[in-house]
Amino acid sequence: MKRRSVLGIPATVTLTALRSARGYAADRIRVGMLKPNIVTVIYWIAVKTNSFVKNGLDVVERPFPSGQTSVGVEEVLRGDIDFCLGATGEVAHVDSRYVEAGKPPPVALFEGGVVGGTFFCLRDNLRGKTLDELRRMKLRIGLSNPSSYHLILFRAFLRTKNLTTDDFQWQFLTIGGTEMLPAMVSHQLDGFMHDALTATLAQRAKAAFVFMSSDRGDMGAQARSLPGTGVYSSRAFMGAHPDVTKRFAQALRDASAAYSATPRPEMVAIMAEWSRVDPAVIDDLYDRFDPRVGMTPQAAQIWWDILGSAMVARGEISPKLKFTDVFDLSYLQPRS
Amino acid sequence: MNRIERIVAPYHVPSGYARGDFLQRAKQRNRRIRLRRLWRGSVGILAMLLIWQAASQILGLELLLPEPLTVLRNVVTTLTVSDPHWLYGPNIYVHLWHSFLRAMAGFVSAAVAAIPLGLVLGRITTVREFVMPCIQGVYPIPGIAWIPMAILWFGLGDAAVIFVVFATVFFPLLFNAEAGARLISPTVLDAGRCFGARGVTLFFRVVLPATVPYIITGLRISLGGAWRMIVAGEMLASQDGIGYLLMESRFQFRAVDLMTAMILVAIVGYATEKLIVGTIEKRTIEKWEVQPS
Repeated sequence: MKRRSVLGIPATVTLTALRSARGYAADRIRVGMLKPNIVTVIYWIAVKTNSFVKNGLDVVERPFPSGQTSVGVEEVLRGDIDFCLGATGEVAHVDSRYVEAGKPPPVALFEGGVVGGTFFCLRDNLRGKTLDELRRMKLRIGLSNPSSYHLILFRAFLRTKNLTTDDFQWQFLTIGGTEMLPAMVSHQLDGFMHDALTATLAQRAKAAFVFMSSDRGDMGAQARSLPGTGVYSSRAFMGAHPDVTKRFAQALRDASAAYSATPRPEMVAIMAEWSRVDPAVIDDLYDRFDPRVGMTPQAAQIWWDILGSAMVARGEISPKLKFTDVFDLSYLQPRS
Repeated sequence: MNRIERIVAPYHVPSGYARGDFLQRAKQRNRRIRLRRLWRGSVGILAMLLIWQAASQILGLELLLPEPLTVLRNVVTTLTVSDPHWLYGPNIYVHLWHSFLRAMAGFVSAAVAAIPLGLVLGRITTVREFVMPCIQGVYPIPGIAWIPMAILWFGLGDAAVIFVVFATVFFPLLFNAEAGARLISPTVLDAGRCFGARGVTLFFRVVLPATVPYIITGLRISLGGAWRMIVAGEMLASQDGIGYLLMESRFQFRAVDLMTAMILVAIVGYATEKLIVGTIEKRTIEKWEVQPS
């Protein structure tokens, strides 16, 4: 009895110390993202404005290269990362495969942003041509990957015209975003579909003009408010850590608020640091690019109506897949 | 007279035995070895398939590691059924054909360049001493490292992929041909000279046949390398071919299609090796009964 109490005192002290230490320590989370890539800059804004720290999160950065959009969802599935900022199409692909196999969808998008971020640029000598004229030309169009969000959006736009990419004489070539401009300059590409940064770089180099942009409404009025970047996690992780998930979503929203409140030169510097490009370029794209998150049920529904249906029509995802299989917006509610 | 008969023919037959007994025993032994290989190979493959099936089912990995039967069914369907919802552009035969053409273009051009150069380097010491340091300096660069340079030089398309295959398979071909030519026994060369062979005659009648086993080994290694590299090259600089198919299926998270493409690469690679290297082997080593000197 005496012996037990002797051992019990230090044990109790240790446990109490550990418990109190845990109470003060931030929750450590592993976050994957495309890097360097302008579309995930909200993560860096959150780091720079201490949004994660303010929400009690200690973030371990797990970047993967631009173009490797499927890495994020694969890492989430393996449990190597807790949250990921990246392309949205891959989430639907994975969930669809599980639904086809009669299993519950494992991954869900719970936040998103970067609206109007698709730019279809063409070489200057193609200026003035209509889509119908271009359709019959043998053009080489660069994409960062074969299931590029920008291509899905373009396909969705074509559906409204009763066309598919098979009606075009174009070659879609896979090429990293950073290599698109050199490829345009060296006449290896006639155009590309990518983000605002690549479009701005190409315009500054006088190598291309913006033929279509979702921001201008060229790909349909609804496409203007289509979230291009998703924030997702595994349903198992979110179910086990709902508070952490809410705080992570809140941190990104805080960062978005900080983006709006911070003076432009300061934000340009942060964005240039993340995307590793000249601040002058960032300053050029500043007005046409919005990195903020702010997923709403309406925006998610637009995503589903435009991109989801385009992917179903092409056979990329199963018709059995439902909106709620891909999205879980319950973590966006204000914290109690 | 078949091969076994040719081997057995020169030997002395002890009294009490007919020549047919030896022949019969040699044939039976050969058949036994073939059956044993077939049996052991089948057991090995079956065991691998069972482990695969068990891992897929027990660990619940059907979506990451599809069951062998599912993959097999998909291989057959891909090869036989025209699916209007097939996601990967042209049909599978077009992808395989384009990959085959690129692999062969790189492989043949490398063989045409590397084998003669290897023979020259193997036989002429002065040239070898000048050239080998350069070749040994470039050799450690992995084939995949050539891809960005190839895109820069040749643009996005077939030429870049073919160049990458060339850069990968050139060195095994060259080193094997060089070693073969360098290691020819002086006795063999002297024997050739004694029969009056000089210059080109000595080269074609003695040097080349003596080097053939090494060249064949180089061809075999290189052809495998060509298929490995074609997949990597097409993943980065192509819009069709089996490498493109692999990448697209990964982005679609379709492990069944991914494994189907891998199996098709294995089948085509094996068939190409048997067809090309096997034919060359039959027409050289087996026909001339060449032994490495």
